[in-house]
Amino acid sequence: MKGFLAVLMVTVLAGGARAQDASVPAVPSEAVQRELQAAQDLLMRATAEFDGPQQSRSIVILDEIVTRLEGLRRDGTLPPRGRDVLAEAYELRGRAYYNIGLQEKAADSFRSLIQLQPTYALSKDKVSPKVVDYFNSVKKALVGYLAVSSKPAGAKVTLNGEFLSLTDFFPLEVLAGDYTVAVAREGYRTETRTVSIAPKATETLDVPLTRTSASAFFVTEPAGVEIWMDGALATTTAGTLAPDLAGAARDKGLDPARASARSEIGGLSLGSHVVELRKKCHEVVRKTMDLSEAKDYDPDLVKMEESLSSLSLRSDPPGAKIFLDGEAMGVTPKELEGVCSGKHRVEVKHTYGKFVQHVVLERNESLTLDCPIRPSLAFLGVVAESAGGERVAAEVEETLVKNLSNKITSLNFVPAPRETVDRILEADRIARKALLPGAGTDPDLIRKVTDKMAAALEVQGFLLAVLPEERLQRTASLHLLAAGNTVSDRLDVAFNEAASYLRFLSVVDQKAAVYHPWTGIITVDTLLHEGVPILRVAAGSPGAQAGLQPGEVIDAADGHPIKQTAELLALVAAKKPKDRIALHVKGAAAARAVDVVLGQTPQEIPLNDPALVYNKVMMDLRQEVDGHPGTEAAAFARLNLAVCAMHFGDFAAAHEHLLKARAELPQRPGISQGTALYYLGLALERLGYKKEAADAYRAAAAAKDATLFDNDGPAVAPLAVRRAGS
Amino acid sequence: MRRVLALAASLVLGGGLVRAQSTADEQARGLLEDGRAYRRDGKLKQALDNFNTIVTGFPNTEYVDDALLEIGRYQMEVEGNADKAREAFELVTKRYPQSDGAPGAYYYLGLLTLDRARSAAELDDALAQFTRVQRLYPRSEWVARALYGASLTHRKAGRLPEAVEAARRVALEYPSSEAAPAAQFQIGQALALLGEPRPAMEEFQRIRSRFPASEWAPKALDRITALYRLYGGGKPVFALDPAFNAGAGDVLKDVRAILMTPARTLWIASDKVKSVVPVGPDGKMGASLSGADLQSLSLTPAGDLVVAARLAVRIGPRDVRSYSVPTDKPGVTEPLEKIESAVVTPGGLTLIADDKRKRVCRFDGKGVFQGPFPDTRERQGVRLAIDGEGDVTVLEREQRTVQVYDEAGKPLRSVAPRGAGWELKKPVDVAVDAFRNIYVADEEGFVYLFSPQGQLMATISGELRKPRALTVDPAGALLVYDEKHEKVLRYR
Repeated sequence: MKGFLAVLMVTVLAGGARAQDASVPAVPSEAVQRELQAAQDLLMRATAEFDGPQQSRSIVILDEIVTRLEGLRRDGTLPPRGRDVLAEAYELRGRAYYNIGLQEKAADSFRSLIQLQPTYALSKDKVSPKVVDYFNSVKKALVGYLAVSSKPAGAKVTLNGEFLSLTDFFPLEVLAGDYTVAVAREGYRTETRTVSIAPKATETLDVPLTRTSASAFFVTEPAGVEIWMDGALATTTAGTLAPDLAGAARDKGLDPARASARSEIGGLSLGSHVVELRKKCHEVVRKTMDLSEAKDYDPDLVKMEESLSSLSLRSDPPGAKIFLDGEAMGVTPKELEGVCSGKHRVEVKHTYGKFVQHVVLERNESLTLDCPIRPSLAFLGVVAESAGGERVAAEVEETLVKNLSNKITSLNFVPAPRETVDRILEADRIARKALLPGAGTDPDLIRKVTDKMAAALEVQGFLLAVLPEERLQRTASLHLLAAGNTVSDRLDVAFNEAASYLRFLSVVDQKAAVYHPWTGIITVDTLLHEGVPILRVAAGSPGAQAGLQPGEVIDAADGHPIKQTAELLALVAAKKPKDRIALHVKGAAAARAVDVVLGQTPQEIPLNDPALVYNKVMMDLRQEVDGHPGTEAAAFARLNLAVCAMHFGDFAAAHEHLLKARAELPQRPGISQGTALYYLGLALERLGYKKEAADAYRAAAAAKDATLFDNDGPAVAPLAVRRAGS
Repeated sequence: MRRVLALAASLVLGGGLVRAQSTADEQARGLLEDGRAYRRDGKLKQALDNFNTIVTGFPNTEYVDDALLEIGRYQMEVEGNADKAREAFELVTKRYPQSDGAPGAYYYLGLLTLDRARSAAELDDALAQFTRVQRLYPRSEWVARALYGASLTHRKAGRLPEAVEAARRVALEYPSSEAAPAAQFQIGQALALLGEPRPAMEEFQRIRSRFPASEWAPKALDRITALYRLYGGGKPVFALDPAFNAGAGDVLKDVRAILMTPARTLWIASDKVKSVVPVGPDGKMGASLSGADLQSLSLTPAGDLVVAARLAVRIGPRDVRSYSVPTDKPGVTEPLEKIESAVVTPGGLTLIADDKRKRVCRFDGKGVFQGPFPDTRERQGVRLAIDGEGDVTVLEREQRTVQVYDEAGKPLRSVAPRGAGWELKKPVDVAVDAFRNIYVADEEGFVYLFSPQGQLMATISGELRKPRALTVDPAGALLVYDEKHEKVLRYR
């Protein structure tokens, strides 16, 4: 009796210890790991001694292992590996004791082992049958058996909170004692039972489970449909339809060959649920399910309808690469059929810029998108010229990005990836500050680095903000630098003032026009006339074609009285080429109305105009040159690029542009080849090539009707003659 | 330890010196900025004090060259002391040749040289100063002004094509510089003098299109008007302005001379009222200048009124002088008592036509006789006029000739007394417009317009009965005092 009670107590204690053992920490501490390692090392020594001639010498070592690991076990810090080592130590000690005839001590070790792992078994293949029998006899006195079944099966069985197995299972060895058995399955109410297990006895539990939730089943055509239940993704259909559902599928209009297997969503609470079935390029199906009973509901068979649209993309110029959601789709102009409805990112890229827009396509919609290509401006961040500036640099950068992103209409504003920029700058051993004027950086290096960054970032210009050295950090200097150029333009903003940004935006968004509307009528202001007399009509011009003559006086245009030439010019400037302007003209004969259809004149960028942001102008001009190669517009743009280069004193770059412009520009009155030759002479002169400059001037002088500024400007020839001779 | 302490001390001191230098620079900069503000506000003495303080008190700062430039400008523009101005500018070029102010100093030295230049060599010197700016400081903001200065030099030397080219470079390469509108005006003016009136009109119009707010825009309008009147149609057109009405009563009696200023004030020298009376653009008469026996009116290059009376010449509002010439007796001079006409040249000479000695006499700025002009030949009944280029037009009434000389007396052009279908019978007055066209009033009832080469361009008669005096306004309109009508007639 006493022995039985003792066993019970041990059992209870062991059960308690097992319950404690359930709470081993996930990651053992360093101290525990050291102890465990030491124990493992000792086990190796003990095993060597056990297998040696003096087996009993292993007992001392095994005692040491037991002491260390039981200590951890008491603290609740014994990891699973430690349990295995302890179990092995107990086994070896038990066997060692048995082999030297100390059966009681052997029994103690075996009892400790069984309490540690009730299902532990010794194999007669490896251990002496006598020892195995002895071990089993000890075990028999300690363990009983428990079998649990449930309906439905597959429930989780825990014993005093510790997982045992899934139903249904054959009897398992369990230390004798009292237990609370819990049987749980999702969607069913958890059942608990108390059981008392005696040594050698078997307890069997049949536990019927009461269902508390419903299960919904879905079959879709096609497969791969996400099923969202009450706003959360519950499952995705997959597989192929079982034959038994083929008939039902056909009845619902599904093609069994394309339908998915049945997908279950279990554990659904009773009541109403919102279900959404989603698949890319298909219409979303929404429905409400009312689950009134806790049961398996019949499968819902759903055929998903395709949701496609088409997208037509055009750009000026054509031939820009199309990327739809990052995937290459050809070049413009292009009709894209079978585009999934929904949100897409459209990117149209050219060497001189790109167009980016997010579109939302409706089912069966045909959307035509004009994609105006804009140069891209990479924001390189903020550099500070003082410690105070360094402290606020990050905040200023954030403010600038917020105020400039999506606000510049003529450029794509792109914050540049810091790592890419750093890598390129480090390769040439320069910092961002080196790109600024006055840094003393070799211009060729700046050109090289900006070209590299432009290629890597696919941009055409850069913006770098500088926080100047001032006590109160309120302004930032924004330096705008076109790729391939060497000197930036500077514009200051008060970075916390909205009006300051508006001024910056209005300046940057000015687009350099290569052409202006043109009449070819040169009028002058005098005190002698009401109106403006015509001094000259350019040959072949719209004014000449309208029959206007020098000496006639224009006193009204489009119904507005004209008293000064500036008024007439302003009216013309507000129109576009091919527009008409109605003039009222007084001449030697009676007054008459004359309609003039406007032409266009190329316009030179002024060489030094403080109102112009030349780097932005260069970006616009490059767009023209790269976007319309071989056209007159590109040739005139190139001429203006040369002027911009001269503005910065970069006569070498100007020279390169002018050589090309000279070849591309037409020979005719107005801005033409002669114009380029004149500037070529100027550039060569500045570069120190006097003879070549004189040759260029002479060639310009031979272009009799070439002009400067615009088609109405001063003649090139007389200027070129003088410069050739000087 | 001692070495460490010494090093620490030197670092502290060095830092202190750096800080002290920064403070001096800041102070000098403040003085310079304030000085420039004073100058803009017209407080010239205060401005000069500031600039002098920088030079004497902060000689090691980077603003000394700027201060010296300002001092030079003050001497040049306010005091009119060319020597002191030159001294200041030369200090900049010699002591601070690498400073920002050095090209400015060369520019101003060029202007000083140009102002005094009379000979070809002196003009070349001026040109050299301007060229130095372009050559040594090609990126400087002064290059545009230096090119403009070169243009002025070429024009003064009579090299009009070169003047056009230099001015064109300013307009083309530095269209936003301060010198650009003035340079554009130069282009127009030079082309007009070169006999290219239509291109000249286009160039003047460019000022109005490109620089509408500049002071040159209204001047350009005047030039275009004048040119268009002369060359816009097939021939010059002068139409009587019936609405014009200047002066009244006795002011319009016994008028000896009339003169229209650039500000469009018409001065009427009436011997009846013994005054020179100004009539403003609004037609109102202003405060008159008294004078007996008035003879002629003209303007100095600086725009001051020159009133010649029989015994004296008034130059400006206060300077009234009598002039004396040497006699045959050494040391003995004789006053001029029969002055007919007087003009002041750009070189500062006063030319006075003396009816008694039948000569035109030359006097320097101090009124000292320099000799006859242009030569010793007797000339009687002389009217003098001076044009924008500094050439002197001499009408001899008795000889009925018109001759044009440069300031040195070298003959340049002439108008014959007669030609096909015309003849100067009783020429009484002469005027010259901005383009060197010559207007001669003939008492027989005509005004003749001659080109600079002496070719008759137009004859104005019609309402005229007895022209007595004439003048040309800034826009080229002709004003004629007719003695019979006792009226100033305007032909626009």
